[in-house]
Amino acid sequence: MTTQGKAANSATDSTPEAGVDPVADSAAEAGTGATSSPAPVPELAELEDRWLRAVAELDNVRKRYGRELDRERTAERARVASAWLPVLDNLELALGHAGGGAFTEGVRAIRDQAVEVLARLGYPRQDATGVPFDPRRHEVVTVLDDPDTPPNTVVRVLRPGYGDLRPASVAVSRTAQG
Amino acid sequence: MAKAVGIDLGTTNSAIAVMEGGQPTIISNAEGARTTPSVVAFTESGERLVGQLAKRQAILNPKGTIYSAKRFIGRRFQEVTEEAETVTFDVVEAPNGSAAFKVRDKLYAPEEISAQVLRKLVDDASNYLGEKVREAVITVPAYFNDSQRQATKDAGKIAGLDVLRIINEPTAAALAYGLDKKEHETVLVFDLGGGTFDVSLLDVGDGVVEVRSTSGDTHLGGDDFDRRLVDHLAGKFKNDTGIDLRTDPQALQRLYEAAEKAKVELSAVTQTQVSLPFITADKDGPKHLTETVTRSTFEQITADLVERCLEPVKQAMADGKVSENDIDEVILVGGSTRIPAVQKLVRRLTGGKDPNMSVNPDEVVALGAAVQAGVLKGEVKDVLLLDVTPLSLGVETRGGVMTRIIERNTTIPARRSEVFSTAEDNQPAVDVVVLQGERERAADNRVLGRFQLTGIRPAPRGEPQVEVTFDVDANGILNVTARDKDTNAEQGITISESSNLDASDVERMVSEAEANRAEDQRLREAVDARNTLDSIAYQVEKTLSDLGDAAPSHERARAEMLISDAREALESDAPVERVRELTGELTQVLQGLQVARTSAPPPAADQGSSSDDDVVDADFDRV
Repeated sequence: MTTQGKAANSATDSTPEAGVDPVADSAAEAGTGATSSPAPVPELAELEDRWLRAVAELDNVRKRYGRELDRERTAERARVASAWLPVLDNLELALGHAGGGAFTEGVRAIRDQAVEVLARLGYPRQDATGVPFDPRRHEVVTVLDDPDTPPNTVVRVLRPGYGDLRPASVAVSRTAQG
Repeated sequence: MAKAVGIDLGTTNSAIAVMEGGQPTIISNAEGARTTPSVVAFTESGERLVGQLAKRQAILNPKGTIYSAKRFIGRRFQEVTEEAETVTFDVVEAPNGSAAFKVRDKLYAPEEISAQVLRKLVDDASNYLGEKVREAVITVPAYFNDSQRQATKDAGKIAGLDVLRIINEPTAAALAYGLDKKEHETVLVFDLGGGTFDVSLLDVGDGVVEVRSTSGDTHLGGDDFDRRLVDHLAGKFKNDTGIDLRTDPQALQRLYEAAEKAKVELSAVTQTQVSLPFITADKDGPKHLTETVTRSTFEQITADLVERCLEPVKQAMADGKVSENDIDEVILVGGSTRIPAVQKLVRRLTGGKDPNMSVNPDEVVALGAAVQAGVLKGEVKDVLLLDVTPLSLGVETRGGVMTRIIERNTTIPARRSEVFSTAEDNQPAVDVVVLQGERERAADNRVLGRFQLTGIRPAPRGEPQVEVTFDVDANGILNVTARDKDTNAEQGITISESSNLDASDVERMVSEAEANRAEDQRLREAVDARNTLDSIAYQVEKTLSDLGDAAPSHERARAEMLISDAREALESDAPVERVRELTGELTQVLQGLQVARTSAPPPAADQGSSSDDDVVDADFDRV
């Protein structure tokens, strides 16, 4: 544990904070001034400037709102889809322990169906091995020594990735330097 | 005007915010996250990665992935030898004696690394804003010395930024809460981040914020709480099964994610379920981890971490010569301050004061920096104190209901108009009743005034167009005008009392509306249904008379019967179901008649189904 009391005191002396805030204060006065009648009349040019700014800001807000709506929609879709990923992961883990037979085949079909749903929502599955490691799609969980594969290659997928929702958790062959 | 941003350049995570319409807002990065890991990686292939991408490859590239650069910025190598031991990359002494990072025989100054993080934040923000960001306010811990501040400023320069000012993190937090506008106060800022803990005492007031004292623990944060929970869960599992999950990277990853989720949940509920089926397997088959974690268990296993916050707080208070009674405000910063036990401790140490935590503690520093940037750019000047309408404003329409023209909480000045029509054939005048309130029934609202617009030329109901305009100026004065679009005759009223309501009156009216919402909704639906039936009956009647003998006789008989049924239903206040049923049947009949009309010779203009969509039938009483 470290305490930095001394250092802090000297630091603040040398760097004045925030400063006095005259700009904000006068704005507050102007704001309230507008509501009572005997306030001084601001310059016409300033009023026009403010008005133009307000109109421009409104226009910008409108545009931003449009973009934001798109972004929010995408984000919400990702949030909902992400919440279901552990269910699919666990189903897949369960299948790893299943025997053969028609029942397992059926459950496997359900797994495929879920993967298909995610792909259609725009989150295609990523579980390829033998490809070069790419941090845009992969997250390294462990590094392996594998003389048979070139360095920096995905050796094993520990957990598949789905589009932008989640990168695939992978084991990667050791790099020359690593 | 180019935007100036505020940047919280953190040890583990960073965030960027900008003033938008007088309010500071966090800007998400290109990956859609509101914070960006302060991590930079140099890959073997010569690529440079920043943020989440750099973090993802850290295990593969431990020597080339730089994190916690903030712990080294502006420091001499001799000062950070201990710190250098705890990181995976190589920290070396630069020729000038300062600390530097060595990646593949190349030296990087900490400010170069921080510059990469700043660059990413600013580039992503520029993309979002659609304009280049050149100016920024950057925050640093209050205990940073001149050399650390200068180095942070240099990082900004390297990133191509004009650093308007370097401000202290606790100061930014106080600005985000607007505490600088207060008289004279002593503020305690308690900042428990991902990996560091800082506590500061501030003097604020008259637009000036000054740091009295600071203290902290440079290696304490939310990550420690996660690790405790992981160890707890893994320990129990090992006791039960003999298997240590911490040696299995895949299981460990799942365990960390589950622990973090459980920690977050335990801030809201007192117990949660950690469920990790098929976490591992042995010769007996698959093993599942299913464990209930209660908040009290979590508090037990992290009690010493929470206790570690105690001493620095006491130290800061002693250094600042402040007792718990002198503290006027407490601000919580950092995600870990959401932990109930941490909040309990803060309350205990500050004389039971309720801490400020309404602003997201992960974002409050960046938001405050944006406020400062706005002030420095004079942007705050453009923010007028804008008022809102406390209650909805509208007019009474057919069926004794209120039709809202300006919704409550609309920012004023505001101007809205709507076109209404007459309810009867040849109606010569309309009564405009100006209402204020949130209830559906006109009689349950406040009448602000009434006037009459006369001289409407004789016409079938629904044809005259009366435009009603509500205009509330910046002072809350309401101007209502009604204009006959045919004759341009206009009538109006000015009401100045629409805004002089007590806050308690407003609250009462809003809560009454809330309490009666279901009933009001039913009433509104009933009135709307009746109005619809009335107008469809009218249209069928009109179509019949237009068609004359062209109407097929069996259709005519059915239509006439339904019209008289409808009239009777309206007069006898028949139940809504009956009204809807008749509306449905009349709609069918109307469609049948319209087919007859189009096949008949005179192709009248489409006056059919319902008149203009913009026209609302108003119950403007016949005079």
